Amino acid sequence: MIPLSYNVRSLQARKVTNLLTALGIGLVVFVLATALMLTEGIKRTFALTGSDSTAIVIRKGSDAELSSWFDKKHQALVMAAAGVQQNADGKPAGVGEVVLVVIAKKQGTELLSNIRVRGVTENVLSFRPEVRIIQGRPAKPGTNEVLIGSQLVGRFEGMKLGNTFELKKNRPVRVVGVFESGGSSFESEIWADVDVLRSAFGREGAVTAVRVKLTSAAAFDGFKAAIESDKQLQLEALRESDYYAKQSEMTSAFVQMLGVSFSIFFALGAMIGAAITMHATVAQRRQEIGTLRAIGFGRLSVLGSFLVESLFLALVGGLLGLLGALAMGLVKFSMMNFNGWNEVVFSFVPTGAILIKALTFGGVMGIIGGFFPALRASRVVPAEAIRR
Amino acid sequence: MSEQNATPSGASVGETFVRLRNVSKIYQRGAEKLRVLDNIDLEIKAGAFEALMGPSGSGKTTLLNLIAGLDRPTDGTVEVGDTKLSALREGRLAKWRARHVGFVFQSFNLLPVLTAEQNVALPLLLTSLSSAERKKRALTALKVVGLSDRTNHFPRQLSGGQEQRVSIARAIVNDPDIIVADEPTGDLDRQSADEILDLLQKLNQEFNKTVLMVTHDPVAAERASLTRRLDKGSLQ
Amino acid sequence: MKWLGLALRNLKRHRGRVIGTVVGVAVSLMAFMILRTVIFAWTVAAEDAAQDRIATRHKVTFIMPLPKRYIDKIRATNGVSAATWANWFGGKHPKREQEFFATLAVDTDSFFDVYNDMVVPAEQLADWKQDRRGAIIGTSLAKKFGWKVGDKINLRGTIFPGTWSFNVRGVYTAVRRGIDPAQLIFHWQYLNESKVLPGDAKDLIGWVIARISDPKRSAAISKSIDDQFDGESDQTATMSERDLYVSFMGMFSAVLGAIDVISLVIIAIMGLILGNTIAMGVRERTNEYGVLRAIGFENRHLAGMILTEGLLIGVLGAVVGLALAYPLVNHGMGLWIEENMGSMFPYFRIPGTTMGLCLLIGLVLGTLAAAIPAYRTSKLSVVDALRRI
Repeated sequence: MIPLSYNVRSLQARKVTNLLTALGIGLVVFVLATALMLTEGIKRTFALTGSDSTAIVIRKGSDAELSSWFDKKHQALVMAAAGVQQNADGKPAGVGEVVLVVIAKKQGTELLSNIRVRGVTENVLSFRPEVRIIQGRPAKPGTNEVLIGSQLVGRFEGMKLGNTFELKKNRPVRVVGVFESGGSSFESEIWADVDVLRSAFGREGAVTAVRVKLTSAAAFDGFKAAIESDKQLQLEALRESDYYAKQSEMTSAFVQMLGVSFSIFFALGAMIGAAITMHATVAQRRQEIGTLRAIGFGRLSVLGSFLVESLFLALVGGLLGLLGALAMGLVKFSMMNFNGWNEVVFSFVPTGAILIKALTFGGVMGIIGGFFPALRASRVVPAEAIRR
Repeated sequence: MSEQNATPSGASVGETFVRLRNVSKIYQRGAEKLRVLDNIDLEIKAGAFEALMGPSGSGKTTLLNLIAGLDRPTDGTVEVGDTKLSALREGRLAKWRARHVGFVFQSFNLLPVLTAEQNVALPLLLTSLSSAERKKRALTALKVVGLSDRTNHFPRQLSGGQEQRVSIARAIVNDPDIIVADEPTGDLDRQSADEILDLLQKLNQEFNKTVLMVTHDPVAAERASLTRRLDKGSLQ
Repeated sequence: MKWLGLALRNLKRHRGRVIGTVVGVAVSLMAFMILRTVIFAWTVAAEDAAQDRIATRHKVTFIMPLPKRYIDKIRATNGVSAATWANWFGGKHPKREQEFFATLAVDTDSFFDVYNDMVVPAEQLADWKQDRRGAIIGTSLAKKFGWKVGDKINLRGTIFPGTWSFNVRGVYTAVRRGIDPAQLIFHWQYLNESKVLPGDAKDLIGWVIARISDPKRSAAISKSIDDQFDGESDQTATMSERDLYVSFMGMFSAVLGAIDVISLVIIAIMGLILGNTIAMGVRERTNEYGVLRAIGFENRHLAGMILTEGLLIGVLGAVVGLALAYPLVNHGMGLWIEENMGSMFPYFRIPGTTMGLCLLIGLVLGTLAAAIPAYRTSKLSVVDALRRI
């Protein structure tokens, strides 16, 4: 084998060219990694929102909370179904909520977007223990006080503690608290009192979804059967985790498709760059290669050595790209969730698998780009090359 | 090309054409200062054919470069004809070279992508001549070096001797006063070398060109009318 | 011109490398053009919106409908020449649920008068008006699902439960770039009279679209509409069609921003490839530049040669990229996207300005990429350059 240090020194000899090539590959790795990280971020945001042992009940045929509505009187039936956990006070652990979207102006722009408003019941904080009030205090039930998710603050006009805004004319609400919920999509919602919301929007007597805590994750099948066996109800029960996975499917698929297809496109360009560089390297080092061959290194050694050099170049670029991608972890990305029509804030979430995937992609680019030049190097005839 | 007893610039044969006064050249290599030329005084007459000899590193090429206006001295003055080279800026110097100097290099230095004729015509690109006129002059120069039958060949299709003759044609195409040749026979076999030396001699004698040649080869030096020796930056 | 010949000869020297670079530039610019086209397609609806149409919707949330009586008040508003309404139905193809398209329940008599840029043949329109379950579909939707006039089709309702059946009575052609060519339009009466609707959900309309006689007064007319409903329980927000599209884009502004960034990244990659090729060629020829300098060429001549080389590669790459992208997008991909993602990208073609921009980028970036090697060459002394082999 030709020692690796030979390749490293050769790369150092042509710093600028090699750096340019590595950067090209690095940019591709960066684009791929960030796209995958955002896809992961979208999945994670929704995965955090849903739990295995919570069930959500919506009107049959409606794909999402937003298009679901059913009579409030069915709520008690749902909560009384088999498998629903009881609280210490003997009441069922469940919430019946109303979901809407309202239009809001994006901070500092004329652009409008939709924010999800959830009408919540007084037990909302005990039902969702992961929710933490980070500013202010919980809202008083039955009043015009609302809580807002932390991701709304600074992103939309008027979304801050102590501010008053109108849900509707003469229906002002006041922000008394800001909450976090561990990065879930709730952080992009406004939580108002369910009855205040109902009357403001003329939805008295309606509920969009009922969520219940089950005695265990395994209790779901029994619960589902109980709900869906009553054909009169026209309701559908889903595990909350499945529901949210489905909600994020389209959005994450969209981002992933966009990211992956463009990475492949870009990779073509960067691979050509690598091939050009390696070609020039081989041409310049013909004499050297001839000497190596004359000393007794075989064709395969030469081929391998140049492939290793190209791979090394690509990996250096790839690592630079990954560093850039990791820096994106500090950035939040806000976009419309296709299934809910509302804007949700996502983060770029790096995972080991993503980093490995993106780096491997870079490495493969190096090997493919370097293959033909390496092949040419291996075909150098020593006698001719030395004479030059 | 003029055939009178005057050099192309108008200086009569025998007048002093190149004048160096107290010329020193110091190269800075890291912290170390390298005195390549040390206080040289030198005069070369118009129409002379001089050889410059000396061991490697004696400063031959540096001296040649100073006279050809490729480089500037650290100290002292270089005058060629009426022009004080050491006072010229880079751009002026380039224009001066284009008009007054013809270069012949050891490794020919032809552009591989151009034919013999195009290589020869290269310096004429800097003039305002029409392309027909450029072509005519290039062909004349190639005729002088005896390569009329190789005008459309590329350098790689020529022998070493032929390549060097093309490069001489390039050196004379703009009718310079002085031809500087750095080891013109260094890469050639004996026979080709003799042909090149014949050609330089012919340019000197028939066309009154001042020829200054750096060489290692005593046989080559014998063709010159005067041989100067340089050692450790000083003329012997 | 005499420099051009020399630059061309230098390019031929490493044919493989130059071809590779041109392909690299072409591929990058192709990606760039596609990305710009995505942005253009996203914004074309706004750019190309009808000047004489304004839309009125619920002030707070677009999912809340308005009382039907609002239409009469809007029609009576000074400056409004015609008005119609539509409700979002949210129907899905029962077998192909992932494929999204817009389904609207509209006012039979006025809808196609206000939307005169959705052209339906007169006899089809007449047939449709006669059939309570009639539907008119867009050209793209017809092609996508293979639906023809006379077909009986079923949709699954997501907002309004159950299976809804329709008879295809006509196909509309979108003659404005911002109009989605993949919608299904049916009678509002059919929806309103359905037993699925609870009593309190009847006689509601989703939004109102009005044609105004003087586009210049669009803001004033919008305000006078909203003022009329200010005292009502449901206030309205009226805006021009253009503003409506712009506000919709707000939800995707981050995506558009990301695409913007990516399109710059691709230009950077392209610059790296170009710069690399030119720097490599120039470095290999350092000795030749030394010779040229010796025989009297000045830095500006050499710079001219190097810059011309860069410019040639850049422009050539741009031309090739354009030649590849144009048929691919305008005759392939674009049609597919209009068919399948028409609600988001109603018109997906490379705009002329993008094509021009692509040529300009090739030219400028090629020249810029050559500027650094040209500068470095000029910094080299003749003697040093001659010594390099």
